[in-house]
Amino acid sequence: MQPILADGNGGALFWELLVNGLVMGSLFALIALGYSLVYGIIELVNFAHGDLFMLGAAMTYTLTALAVSWFGTVTPGGMSFAIVLGLLLIVPFFCGGANILIDRAVYRPLRRAPRLVPLVSALGVSFVLVNIGQLWIGTSPLSLENKAQLVSDDSLIQMGEVPLKWKDAVVLITVVPVMVGLTWLVKFTRLGKAMRATAQNLVAAQLMGIGVERVIASTFFVGGYLAGLAAVVYTLKIGRIEYQMGFQNGLYAFTAAVVGGIGNIPGAVLGGLLLGFIYSFGGGYSQGNWVDALIFGVLIVLLIFRPTGLLGSRSREKV
Amino acid sequence: MTTAGERAQALLDVRKLTMRFGGLVAVNAVDLAVDSGQIHSVIGPNGAGKTTLFNAVTGIYEPTEGHVLFEGHTLARPLSAWILIRTAIIALLAGLLAMTFFVRADGLWKAAIRENMPAVRTDPFSYRQAASTAAEYLTVRSSEATTGFVGGFLVTLLGALALWNRSRRTTDVVALGGIARTFQNIRLFQNMTVLENVLVGMDRKFSATFLGMGLRLPGARREERELAAKADELLAFVGIQGRDQMLAKNLPYGDQRRLEIARAMACEPKLLLLDEPAAGMNPKETIDLMGLIRRIRDRGFTVLLIEHHMSLVMGISDRIAVLDYGAKIAEGTPLEVKNNPKVIEAYLGKEEVH
Amino acid sequence: MTPPSRSAIAGGVLFAMLVVLPQLPLAEWGIPANLLTELLILSILALGLNVILGTTGLLHLGIAAFYGIGCCITGILTTSIFPFQTNFLVAMMVSAFGTALVGLILGAPVLRLRGDYLALVTLGFGQIVITVLLEFENITGGKKTLQGLFPPLLPFVSEGTMGRRGDWQTFPHFYYLCLGLLAIVYLGLGNLERSRLGRGLVAVREDELAAGAMGLNPARLKLSALAIGAGVAGLAGSLFAMHNTNTTEPQNSFNFNWSIIILAAIILGGLSSRAGVLWGVVLLMGFDKIASRIIDDSLQAAAADGNTAFRLSNWRLMIFGLVLIGMMRFRPNGLLPERRGTSK
Repeated sequence: MQPILADGNGGALFWELLVNGLVMGSLFALIALGYSLVYGIIELVNFAHGDLFMLGAAMTYTLTALAVSWFGTVTPGGMSFAIVLGLLLIVPFFCGGANILIDRAVYRPLRRAPRLVPLVSALGVSFVLVNIGQLWIGTSPLSLENKAQLVSDDSLIQMGEVPLKWKDAVVLITVVPVMVGLTWLVKFTRLGKAMRATAQNLVAAQLMGIGVERVIASTFFVGGYLAGLAAVVYTLKIGRIEYQMGFQNGLYAFTAAVVGGIGNIPGAVLGGLLLGFIYSFGGGYSQGNWVDALIFGVLIVLLIFRPTGLLGSRSREKV
Repeated sequence: MTTAGERAQALLDVRKLTMRFGGLVAVNAVDLAVDSGQIHSVIGPNGAGKTTLFNAVTGIYEPTEGHVLFEGHTLARPLSAWILIRTAIIALLAGLLAMTFFVRADGLWKAAIRENMPAVRTDPFSYRQAASTAAEYLTVRSSEATTGFVGGFLVTLLGALALWNRSRRTTDVVALGGIARTFQNIRLFQNMTVLENVLVGMDRKFSATFLGMGLRLPGARREERELAAKADELLAFVGIQGRDQMLAKNLPYGDQRRLEIARAMACEPKLLLLDEPAAGMNPKETIDLMGLIRRIRDRGFTVLLIEHHMSLVMGISDRIAVLDYGAKIAEGTPLEVKNNPKVIEAYLGKEEVH
Repeated sequence: MTPPSRSAIAGGVLFAMLVVLPQLPLAEWGIPANLLTELLILSILALGLNVILGTTGLLHLGIAAFYGIGCCITGILTTSIFPFQTNFLVAMMVSAFGTALVGLILGAPVLRLRGDYLALVTLGFGQIVITVLLEFENITGGKKTLQGLFPPLLPFVSEGTMGRRGDWQTFPHFYYLCLGLLAIVYLGLGNLERSRLGRGLVAVREDELAAGAMGLNPARLKLSALAIGAGVAGLAGSLFAMHNTNTTEPQNSFNFNWSIIILAAIILGGLSSRAGVLWGVVLLMGFDKIASRIIDDSLQAAAADGNTAFRLSNWRLMIFGLVLIGMMRFRPNGLLPERRGTSK
């Protein structure tokens, strides 16, 4: 494979790819957490999660367009800052709420059904969401930047030759506190305790008086919230949305969750970052289309040598 | 108490078996020797580690420490020459595949095939020419080719070894070695018929080929008929004749347990492990079951039994081992065990907890 | 003799219908004849997936990839720009076996892992196959595809005796060829299901652990299911190439959506019941490919001038999705559930 390095610029490209990997990785991690949290509690691979992320991006676009039609042209500065804040407040709630709704309407009646049943339903939900997205934003890609320049293209800081762009900074500034917050939520709050107990043993948790359904709903909300957040920062960074973006990104995130050990929260973050780096460096040093193959190869090799993922623990079937 | 070492050779010989789950020691250095032709029972309060012991014996769990010997050796998938050859072939193929990817298969194809196509349609294509072009293409890119081949070969070889290593001591190897079992919480193939359940147990006796099965050749059909007749005999033996075509899940509870026994017997094991076969049965069914277990023993099977029903165990066992908190606290004839103060304490202790 | 079961009747009725169908005045009803052939090919594909998903209970999300591989192998073997130029029979067999081999290679590393991982691996594999088919354009033709596939039908038969080149690839000849192959696959898989192998596969689906404890090797059985399913899908792909006389654009014909649409057809008809699977394909694909066009045309004519929301084709995925959700909720065993034996 031919490296496509610019002449004499190898060092700078490396750092650029590193930053990009970190940023993409934290995005993948946010989405992967949604897979992992839900899987941890009800052992369901929520195939629709990636498409929820897509709807979040569509919401981001629509809200931005709405803001533009109210305020006129928006350029980076005070007004765009307010809009970004607004997006970060509204869209995650939209996605979280939608996720609760999906769970309530589709998955909840199937809690006692054989494993294949909710999985297939999740595929169905995925199709429904894609179709909603298609009707909502149409079939051709949309560019957010045509509507409004919410985040400037400038660099926030310059580290030697390497710039840290505002667009990347926004992702990191958003993601890091959220990760910390999530850790706090799971480790120290009542809800977090209930979530961990339910993940350990759903029936026992129920017998101990934990409102299991409430915990599951909260988990779906948190997963959706994170997907919504990812959708906002993704849209701000990439600037382009389309109704099929959920599939590809969902696949990356699902892979990240499995690589890290599905059901494991730090694992999802680790897997997401790892995948971000592979994605970024693979794309940078080879012809872009083979990145998927590279990621797939890493996944297969990992599953052979460490079937439970990097941080996953052995699950044992009850006999 | 006799220990394993003193016997000529026990059929099943469990030595210092320990199962640890995280910090919990479920089974602690248990020795157990089961002689041929006996009904051997394992009793103990709830959570004493009986089922865990069974799971370790049947390959569902890998023992943390200790050994399980069956007829004097460990049951594990042997490393045959065929497996080695197969692994080598797969690794070679994977290496070649990786190589073509590394030298860009697309370009290789273009050079060897597309550009060697004769100008005139009807002229023959020279495969020799194509091969030499391909060789040339590879020589030019020998470093990529080598990297790809060696990388693909090594990763696949290591992967195959890792997979093989993980599958060395699985349940099917143990079952084929001569140990069959039933489960505490009945695990029949619910949506298959009663007959099919037993036929699955007989799986190893079938010899039909893929083609024979797909085309229903006479040989395959005859085999089906003969083994179905055998299965019917087994079903009659355990007392559920005439319900061949019923789905397993539609059988009454007690009959499901009997079917599970028939299915395990169909494997023709030397050792039959019964995990609480009387659980959920009423007294009459339990008495019938005692008779059945005796008849199974008389048919030549050795039986290892886990049971709660004291009366059942005391009535039919040749030997009894008692587990408590994962450790064996007593072993002997039913009479010896019944009068052992440790056993009485263990069972009374159980009452206190509840 | 036991009376024929409900699904045998359903299967028989369907086959009888399919035999008669080409004799009807389809063109008058606005049904393009070659769509019927495609229906048969998709039925074969669905029967392949059914071995994996229905009989063995493995969630496989990349069946379309195998379909594409089979299609491509046949294309490579029969196109006139490459030296092989085999007849269809050979190309079909090589496609089926080659695809089965790919299925084996893909399944071997992951089958001892928990089931959800297979879904991910097959999902990813589906993506990779599309990439490979697109990128290796010297081999597969890439976006331009391999065109003009007109091989002879059988070995040792000159084209003259069989009529003009490509004649056998036209309707209704090719339709009946596909129907014959469908019948062979249908009966063959039925025999397999009732044999030792099929019992083993169902046992693994019902309870993998218990199956292992009975001496079955679950990993090997799952691998067989994957190979058989992939092989049948490869066969369908081979037919698809012959039907179109080219190897169709991979991104549209072999993508994830197709895998799930086939899956939806199986779910609708009844997991693991072959007659159900055929009915599922006929209903769902018949709706998607034939009925929805007719409805669309009349809708557009009636009122909604150009409004995209009033076009059924824009609600396609929603309909498939709702079929999946609704069936799982209210009738998880499908319209024609599998019957093993008779429950008294």
